[in-house]
Amino acid sequence: MSDFARKVCMLGDFGVGKTSLVARYVRNTFSDKYLTTVGVKVDSRSVALSDEVNLKLVIWDIAGKAALDSVNKNYLRGASGLILVADGTREPSLRAALDLALQAREVVASPACVLFVNKLDMVDRWEVAPAVLGEIRRSLAVFETSALSGDGVEAGFIELARKLAP
Amino acid sequence: MTMPDPVERYLDEFLRARARPLLLTFDANWQLVDVHGDTSIRGLDADGPHTLVQQLQDLFLGLPCDQPQDLPFVELAGGIHAHVHLIPESDRFHLLLLDASDEHARTQVQQQLGNDATLAVFEKTRSLARLRQIRNELEQQRARLEEANALKNALFATLSHEFRTPLTSIFGYLHLLERYGESARDQALSALRRNASYLFALAENLLEYGRSEAGETLLTPTVLDLSVLVTDLEAMFCPLAAEKRLELSVEAGPVPPSDALFDVVKLRQIAINLLSNALRYTPAGYVCVYLGWERDRLRIEVRDSGLGIDAEYQAKVFKPFNRGAQHGACSAGLGLSIVKRLVERMSGLIELESTPGKGSAFRVALPPLVAAGPPQVAPVVPEGSHRSFSSALVVDDDPDVAALLEVLLGDFGMRARIATNVAEAIAMVAAEVPDLVLVDVELPGLSGNAAVYQLRSQGYKGRIVTVSANATESARSAAITAGADHYLTKPLDFVQFARVVQGFAAVT
Repeated sequence: MSDFARKVCMLGDFGVGKTSLVARYVRNTFSDKYLTTVGVKVDSRSVALSDEVNLKLVIWDIAGKAALDSVNKNYLRGASGLILVADGTREPSLRAALDLALQAREVVASPACVLFVNKLDMVDRWEVAPAVLGEIRRSLAVFETSALSGDGVEAGFIELARKLAP
Repeated sequence: MTMPDPVERYLDEFLRARARPLLLTFDANWQLVDVHGDTSIRGLDADGPHTLVQQLQDLFLGLPCDQPQDLPFVELAGGIHAHVHLIPESDRFHLLLLDASDEHARTQVQQQLGNDATLAVFEKTRSLARLRQIRNELEQQRARLEEANALKNALFATLSHEFRTPLTSIFGYLHLLERYGESARDQALSALRRNASYLFALAENLLEYGRSEAGETLLTPTVLDLSVLVTDLEAMFCPLAAEKRLELSVEAGPVPPSDALFDVVKLRQIAINLLSNALRYTPAGYVCVYLGWERDRLRIEVRDSGLGIDAEYQAKVFKPFNRGAQHGACSAGLGLSIVKRLVERMSGLIELESTPGKGSAFRVALPPLVAAGPPQVAPVVPEGSHRSFSSALVVDDDPDVAALLEVLLGDFGMRARIATNVAEAIAMVAAEVPDLVLVDVELPGLSGNAAVYQLRSQGYKGRIVTVSANATESARSAAITAGADHYLTKPLDFVQFARVVQGFAAVT
């Protein structure tokens, strides 16, 4: 068994559910109370990619912002993967996530990327049209997720882990 | 700048007391070499250094340990927040942890207030936009109701005139027959036939109009016998043309291939309306009709040397109850509007070319329809598409309803699979793409709309029908926005259900 670890950063506007997604993935918990993240919280979970390969995802839950400042850029150093997070009920948060991905490339060269469009449990209020995600899907792995129900969360993290496999 | 000793001592004690520094020294292989400072606040006393060291190793994953690093506001085990500084020193490095819990709490409160306010503004803006949308919808609805009311009034006015005129004529000629007997027979029978035909056509058009308004116009694809249609049209209109001393020619062109299916009844209705319109508005000269298969379309052309239509009225002739749009109009004004509806219903095109005083030409091009299920001959798929319509996925957690839908779909020759929740549905569609997905909105966990949304965003191009017990407009709108083609409410109206499925099959 070979073990290795990769740093991945959650990037997205505030209130899109980055902390909730990490809580669902790492601890299988959910709280509907919104508590803004200040700074960074690091969690980890191992993924068995095969019988021989075990990947530890070191997940940086970074304070949400629509644009990267110097502090957040500092947090990104050393990252191999990015999880872009948008809130389906707030269309501007999707643009913010995609903008953040572009800004992150100033710090991280060629990171593995996936996009989580969160709050699928509130799909009736989504502002993002299915066709828009269909178009983004051509160039980026997209997962409609619900931190509340857990739908799409595991699959999204596993997809990123696969992209990070040596 | 060196301050006086008492101040230096005070500052040192004050800042140390506030930051409660903890210093951990590691060798180049992350082996803990030394610990200085307040160990109690980091949980080192309780758990030993292992958890904290592991956390710090994760924190500096991918970062060089031979360069100074500064990571502010890092949440450590136990919910403690610290500013973490890496200070390199030859073959080892130090990690200095400065307590940031109070500062974090203050910053979080401020940040939370700011974020909550921004979200509240966003919600308020959205609510206002929604209210504006509702107001617009209400205004549009009012306009539609007013238009419907005007149409209803126009219908009554039209009917009172259009039915009374031929009926007056019929009663008049019946009176002539009774009074003058054999001597008035030919003239009376001709007038009776003409007026009865007109009443029949008027009744047919009214029925079709009513069906269209109710959204009930279904298409029945069958094989077209062009020669029979041409013969019927000639037999039907020759007497009228002769009576008006008009030259009438009905020409048949190339015959459609046997697998090109049409709704023959509606096709006949189109031809009859165009022809009777031409005869009505042509006082002298000719009316020429052509029907034939050209460039994968059935072409119908009706040309006349009649009154013609002014350019400004050409769009109006296709609106219902348009009396007055044509020169000397004396009809119900329904025929051409029904022709247009039927042509569009069959995915065809209609063109009008007209010169006032010289005549008009109506040209219709109709693609073939697709057959409506197993009893029909092999389906004809338009526009180069090669989809068949034979498989379905039912997404419903109620086994009785799912089984019932499976049986109903089986009646249409469709093989159905059953999923009981959203994740299962997405996986089943990924494994084998069905032609039709029937989704119950009220599913355990995520709603059926979430399944519809995901299917569409993943590129599913088949038909989706959403079923729900919620009969509100907002529920319907949510389903359609998510990507459904149809929204049916429970209890399921099986006639409506059949109509929807047949409609997909007929016009895929």
